[in-house]
Amino acid sequence: MKWKVIEKSKLPNLIGELAREYEIFAPVDRKSIGSFERLASGSEVSLDSRNTKKPPKDVFIPQTETLFTYKTGKQEVELAAPQVVIGQRVVLAVRPCDAKSFVLLDKFLSSGEYKDAYYKEKRKNTTIVGLACNHPLSTCFCTSLGGSPHGKEGLDVLLQDINDKYLIEPITERGEKLIEKFPWLKEAERADIDKAKKLSDDAEAAVKSKVSIDGVDNKLDGMFDDPIWEQICQKCLNCGICTFFCPTCCCFDVLDEDGKRIRIWDSCQFSCFTLHGSGHNPRPSGKERMRQRIMHKFNYFVKTHGESFCVGCGRCIQECPVNLDIREVVGAISALPTDKRSDND
Amino acid sequence: MEKLEKSLREIAEKLLSEKKVDLIIGYERGTRPLRTTPCFVNKTEDVQKLIWDSSCDNNLAKYVVDRKEKVGVVAKGCDARLIAVCIAENQVPKENVIIIGVPCLGVVDRKKVESKLEEKEILEATIEGEKIKVKGEEFELLLAKNDFLCDSCLTCKHRNPPIQDVLVGEEVPELTEVNEFTEVENLEAMAAEERWNHFNGELSKCIRCYACRSVCPLCYCKTCFVDQSIPTWFGKTNDLSDTMIYHIVRALHVAGRCVDCGACSRVCPVNINLRELMKKIEKIVKERYNFKAGLSLEEAPPLGDFKSEDPQEFIK
Amino acid sequence: MKNVEKGWEPRILAFLCNWCSYAGADLTGISRIQYPPNVRIVRVPCSGRVNPYYIIKALQCGWDGVLVSGCHPGDCHYISGNLVARRRFAVLKDLLEYVGIEPARVNFSWVSAAEGGKFASVVTEVVNEVKALGPAKRLVKVRIEWKNLKNR
Ligand code: SF4
Ligand code: SF4
Ligand code: SF4
Ligand code: SF4
Ligand code: SF4
Ligand code: FES
Repeated sequence: MKWKVIEKSKLPNLIGELAREYEIFAPVDRKSIGSFERLASGSEVSLDSRNTKKPPKDVFIPQTETLFTYKTGKQEVELAAPQVVIGQRVVLAVRPCDAKSFVLLDKFLSSGEYKDAYYKEKRKNTTIVGLACNHPLSTCFCTSLGGSPHGKEGLDVLLQDINDKYLIEPITERGEKLIEKFPWLKEAERADIDKAKKLSDDAEAAVKSKVSIDGVDNKLDGMFDDPIWEQICQKCLNCGICTFFCPTCCCFDVLDEDGKRIRIWDSCQFSCFTLHGSGHNPRPSGKERMRQRIMHKFNYFVKTHGESFCVGCGRCIQECPVNLDIREVVGAISALPTDKRSDND
Repeated sequence: MEKLEKSLREIAEKLLSEKKVDLIIGYERGTRPLRTTPCFVNKTEDVQKLIWDSSCDNNLAKYVVDRKEKVGVVAKGCDARLIAVCIAENQVPKENVIIIGVPCLGVVDRKKVESKLEEKEILEATIEGEKIKVKGEEFELLLAKNDFLCDSCLTCKHRNPPIQDVLVGEEVPELTEVNEFTEVENLEAMAAEERWNHFNGELSKCIRCYACRSVCPLCYCKTCFVDQSIPTWFGKTNDLSDTMIYHIVRALHVAGRCVDCGACSRVCPVNINLRELMKKIEKIVKERYNFKAGLSLEEAPPLGDFKSEDPQEFIK
Repeated sequence: MKNVEKGWEPRILAFLCNWCSYAGADLTGISRIQYPPNVRIVRVPCSGRVNPYYIIKALQCGWDGVLVSGCHPGDCHYISGNLVARRRFAVLKDLLEYVGIEPARVNFSWVSAAEGGKFASVVTEVVNEVKALGPAKRLVKVRIEWKNLKNR
């Protein structure tokens, strides 16, 4: 299918038409915090040059989600079937790093033996329309993790901002189907495509922040008891901001409230996360919790799913209140001598 | 500034080499513009890392509780007061802490600078006296530092640490005349319903990350009430009622202890101005019990104390 | 009264200290003094036992008003339980009012074991004031039902 273009001024029309058929999620500047929200009207969409402050993960993993409801009688428990059926959705203007986070979340939550029905159902019914980044921030390091500011992984459609227009590139069949609904879209011209290519190259070059993750996974193998964790975690407050704002962090807690079984976001940085019923906590201090975060992202996930569990969006760098910079952490680990392991034995 | 940093490093080096402390907790340059980061120095050769300027916003009192070693802590007025509260509450043995007081002219609120620059990203920033020089792609600006200070600093009446063991540099003039409760008074003047809507609106943004608690030096409880599960006092979802209650109860817990260091508001990733609650608590305690926290090492926190003549106009 | 369903009656939760106010309430009954039946009583050892959580939780559970009552200053069975509590309640009450909770929903009183009449008048006053406000909405998460209470 051919690439299309749309004038920026026409975008609200497109969103308006889409809204008749789909539930639309898009970046909204809600009380000056960019986040993905269900759109009430097309005009609120904020397509700034920056990514949203909050990641789009809550489109699929809301912070609070009721899994099912129940009633307890004297002898019996009555269950209400889980409500997982979701209508067709479109998520608009997802940045390439966040699109990649969906690919990683898919691996984690809906592949292999255990599949998360709630996540899967929403994912299945969602078309992802991306928006390429022309102006990466100094904290972006997507290129170190196999992504790129104009990357397509995880997207059904990619929009590229070429000044007064968006170039529309269908990527998957689902994306093509979506675009077919708008026969009034103009076809892209050679010049549009060339311009987008140039912007893409420039953006790629503008990602100055580099992190070398080569070999970090193997190195981490031998570092479970390394003294480095003690150093890294020293200033950490275990506040959990880095995980709540991370597009890939999806740990949760399950609790019951008034006849509802609810799932809420949780964080490996919280002390309760691993607290046993007995009172024993296998991760009693910040050291173990920080180790878990880094190990999960750069070792365990690589072993189980073949790549790092980080997309280089830089949110944790921007939001950490004590400037615990994940680039420095990974850098420090990769700078350790390779025979580190035998040192500790 | 350079003179202050030099003298700070000398003090730190002396404390370490004379074995008065095992560790110095201070600030070093961070990885982002206007960003410093807590720094832990236990070797004399590392004291060169230590810095001091108006971007040293983290509250280092947080790192004093629960330590085995003797520490020297770089402390602004508010930090020093919080260390004093922790000592008065028997959380830290006085002999284990040396307060390295730094007179403070206010710290810069990065969020204010960022919002001034809107879409433009700051790539470099330096604080030069009264000015902040910010640079980015294709722009360079000189901002007046005083327009970008944290709200707490604008009304702080203890810029010089009221309690310290050694002072870096000279004392700075105090702001004796400012009204620290203007925001609270404006809220008090609203109708109850308006206030309710205001707090609902603000707190509905809260994502229950509890960073405001995690950053507060007074929130040293082994198990915070929000983490308690037997019984679960209040719900853990981001239901608005539970979220409001979290904030109300946390405010109650810091009553008579909070010094308005501003750390909780600064840390909030969704920009909730928690100061509106904390300042009210401070005002209540001041008006009812004539108490201001962090000015003495001995005085018990007012909510653990009483006087027979305490006001009771609200009791039927 | 605004938007109140017909026949609505306020529900008030009262925490009464065992040594004074609870005995005072008992005396009200024994002396056959009338007071509105809108109160459910929780007996506590001392007003100092009343954690502010209880009061906040009661509001969250949909009680329309809360009353905490203890011995007069100087009479507390534990000497100063009520005096420490007095500070806690003062701060709580001021703060709740500040966030927009109607002040009349949160009440405190000193009622001695001899003040059966005072207990009745305190309860009457509280019930009337809460009635004037209508059902609690702010901070309410789950609304309790009388009938569920009776089943327990
Ligand atoms: S955001 Fe920073 S301080 Fe908070 S848990 Fe993460 S690394 Fe630690
Ligand atoms: S770890 Fe940090 S940089 Fe990586 S995906 Fe998560 S928030 Fe983004
Ligand atoms: S830091 Fe902000 S978002 Fe996090 S719990 Fe506190 S108020 Fe809520
Ligand atoms: S409550 Fe907030 S302002 Fe008060 S001491 Fe704690 S962190 Fe500082
Ligand atoms: S909010 Fe209260 S219970 Fe939780 S840590 Fe702070 S003082 Fe302790
Ligand atoms: S025993 Fe009645 S208030 Fe303490």
